[in-house]
Amino acid sequence: MSGGETGLAQYVDTTVSVITNDGRTIVGTLRGYDQATNLILDECHERVYSSKSGVEQLVLGLYVIRGDNIAVIGEVDDDKDASIDFSAVRAAPLKPVTH
Amino acid sequence: MLFYSYFKTLVGKEVTVELKNDLAITGTLHSVDQYLNIKLNNIRVVNEQKYPHMLSVRACFVRGSVVRFILLPPGSVDVELLHDATRREARGG
Amino acid sequence: MATEEDNTVREPLDLIRLSLDEKVYVKLKGERELRGKLHAYDQHLNMILGDVEETVTMVEIDEETFEEIIKTNKRMVPYLFVRGDGVILVSPPLRS
Repeated sequence: MSGGETGLAQYVDTTVSVITNDGRTIVGTLRGYDQATNLILDECHERVYSSKSGVEQLVLGLYVIRGDNIAVIGEVDDDKDASIDFSAVRAAPLKPVTH
Repeated sequence: MLFYSYFKTLVGKEVTVELKNDLAITGTLHSVDQYLNIKLNNIRVVNEQKYPHMLSVRACFVRGSVVRFILLPPGSVDVELLHDATRREARGG
Repeated sequence: MATEEDNTVREPLDLIRLSLDEKVYVKLKGERELRGKLHAYDQHLNMILGDVEETVTMVEIDEETFEEIIKTNKRMVPYLFVRGDGVILVSPPLRS
């Protein structure tokens, strides 16, 4: 077994959740990417986590995110995502990545 | 190339990737590239109570540059093979 | 002759090559330390260690006395890949 496709092709036109190096979570539709992991995210919004109140959603629109500032790109299960009551989710924001 | 080649032999095995933001993700290794970017399937976050940020995520791509550690499955570490490969690499480069 | 060449230490990485299969001490960014057997490394100091003990040191300030409280967390990991960019220093074989 030599491994699967390493690129992000299989995530294109699906909902992804991107964790940035400063600890933010941005959810949107992946429209494109390149070798440096720069991303085009369409119709995206930020999910702001807080330990004091539920998750707040901020509408961002169309974003290009620079690869150097990306930690994780998650493939979102849309059904599961829709079943989560984010207003009831309380969690401290993620820590920034420290190099 | 040593670790790129080594991680390719771990495809299909379960690993835990610990990131430089303290998030730890366990999943089946799907693929790795020359930058040691990693793709995991069937993921779960270690300590989901504290980190519910990826509850609806089933698979993910982790950028190699944000990896701190990767916890390896003990059964897939051939120590002798690693020693030989390391000595070969040390001579070559 | 080959042996002589293998044991010559001219560059830092030569010293690390001689530590293969030996217990080493690795200091990492973020107040982290590792002690374990060195099984593999490359020119970036990416490494695989075995039977690793990780120590994380945290300093907390007591809210009332403002005293520094030093806490250490330890854990054991059977096999650990360490990304080289977090490595501050590698110290060759430990006696213990």
